[in-house]
Amino acid sequence: MLKLLRIDLLKLANYKAFWVLNGLYALLIVGIPAGVIEFLKWLKSAGAEFDGFDPMKIPILHFPDIWQNITYVYTFLKVFLAIIIVISISNEFTYKTVRQNIIDGMSRLDFLKSKLLTILMVSMGSAVLVFLTGLITGALYTPDMAFADMFSEIEFVFAYFLDLFAFLTFSFLLTVILKRSALTVFILLIYRPVEWIIIINLPTAIEGIGQYFPLQAMSNMIEVPFPKYIFQEINDDVNTTMVGVVIAWICLFVYAIYAKLKSSDL
Amino acid sequence: METVLSIQNLTKRYGRLTAVNNLTLNVEKGSVFGILGPNGSGKTTTLGILLDVINKTSGDFTWFGAPPTKAVRKRIGAILETPIFYPYLSAAKNLEIVAEIKDAPKANIDPVLEKVELLDRRNDKFRTYSLGMKQRLSIASALICDPEVMILDEPTNGLDPQGIAEIRTLIQQIASEGKTIILASHLLDEVQKVCSHFCVLKKGTLLHSGSVDEIGKGPVTVEVDAVGEQIESVLKSWDKAIDVKLEDGYYQVKLTDGCTAQDLNVHLFDQGLIATHLLTQKKSLEKQFLELLAESENA
Ligand SMILES: Nc1ncnc2c1ncn2[C@@H]1O[C@H](COP(=O)(O)OP(=O)(O)OP(=O)(O)O)[C@@H](O)[C@H]1O
Ligand SMILES: [Mg+2]
Repeated sequence: MLKLLRIDLLKLANYKAFWVLNGLYALLIVGIPAGVIEFLKWLKSAGAEFDGFDPMKIPILHFPDIWQNITYVYTFLKVFLAIIIVISISNEFTYKTVRQNIIDGMSRLDFLKSKLLTILMVSMGSAVLVFLTGLITGALYTPDMAFADMFSEIEFVFAYFLDLFAFLTFSFLLTVILKRSALTVFILLIYRPVEWIIIINLPTAIEGIGQYFPLQAMSNMIEVPFPKYIFQEINDDVNTTMVGVVIAWICLFVYAIYAKLKSSDL
Repeated sequence: METVLSIQNLTKRYGRLTAVNNLTLNVEKGSVFGILGPNGSGKTTTLGILLDVINKTSGDFTWFGAPPTKAVRKRIGAILETPIFYPYLSAAKNLEIVAEIKDAPKANIDPVLEKVELLDRRNDKFRTYSLGMKQRLSIASALICDPEVMILDEPTNGLDPQGIAEIRTLIQQIASEGKTIILASHLLDEVQKVCSHFCVLKKGTLLHSGSVDEIGKGPVTVEVDAVGEQIESVLKSWDKAIDVKLEDGYYQVKLTDGCTAQDLNVHLFDQGLIATHLLTQKKSLEKQFLELLAESENA
């Protein structure tokens, strides 16, 4: 297993675009909370009138709310990482290096595993970064720290990881089917709107299945947190049913990738 | 003799096109096996199936008497059609990946680069290489695991004459170590020089399979000229001459099986003629190849 990951990392080690884009993504993760704080500070200093309400008092970046808030926002950035994955995998098809890898002694399953391990590594690395960013930001801005509160909604980081891993696996599948990077990225970008249009146009009899569609299920794991600051209606758990649905989709994607690799001439 | 590769009734169809048609073939250990055939005859497709990058339609094959696995491929050094590497990586990095996949020691990298004379370019990116250098690098990559079998598909494509000669020497040297080489090529002259066995494919069908030594066997043709007017009638009336033709100022005499230029010379002398030119036409692989194709056309 480790060996397969090492092979894939050897391929990527000198691939500058991969590391530059990953670095930019990491900067975004770290930068967004800082940006939010600066924005709130600016609102305050600009003397915005909120009926005497201090914007800095909105607990957006306070424990434990921070976990749901930042992970919800971060899930919108996953397309960025997906593009990196699509490009690096489609390269293997355009350069035909996947063919040479098999000739040299990999099995198709090995190839799948090595890519999936890289995706797993990227997803985990990203989740760790989100965790550290949340921890530091929360510690800086939470007025009164209680240890129990700090981690009470930590499961959102796990949901973030799962969302990212599922989406990247989905991108992997699209790449294996479509082979060309520009086409795959295009389909990836229009997939979500298309899925959404299908969902809202489902006949009433089967309306309920809409929530199980892959990207819908992924986004259902972490629900929109911000209305609670207006309606006070708390909705602060990871949707466990959807976690199950997403895991099922991941298994299906991986199987589909395997079947596609197995049946094609490389 | 140990059989390294055994193919039984292998078939590959692309829709209506049959790229490999019911192919049955054996390759013995230590042989240098040439696969010949015109463009599109199924050479690359066959090798692709043997290396598991192309799915067969039907039939079977075994490597070293066992069904093919990835472990077997790690003992084979193979290049198919064109050199394939990561363009943004250096030669050394690319070979490192190959070594990692094949479980070959990293210490093999520099020696194989040395062998193909790319050692001083080891840190240059693959995409900056010339066609011939890319070709050499793929040969280095095939050598990296100290393979028991080498599969080379057009290995001299794009090489300069010196490069072709070097590859020939390399193949002969590897073969002399007792290794098996399977070589698809259009350079019939090269195949004749390095191969011990060969087969001919056409539209996926096997036309012929045999040893290169056999090519020289059978009736010989002798090119001859002599002083004297009556030479043509002397040759034509000789019972050992099957066919006599005047070509390029010389008589081409096809002799009955077993007869040689010596017999012809003796006959001329007996008839009072002195030969001024006597040359046994060596039957080339190229000639045999073209004959086989022509035969299949008429059949
Ligand atoms: N992916 C494919 N789809 C459809 N037909 C194919 C495919 N690959 C090869 N063929 C066909 O299979 C036949 C055999 O091709 P192959 O590449 O094996 O020939 P070859 O003997 O290697 O030729 P060359 O000497 O030109 O390298 C050709 O008619 C080719 O058009
Ligand atoms: Mg070919």
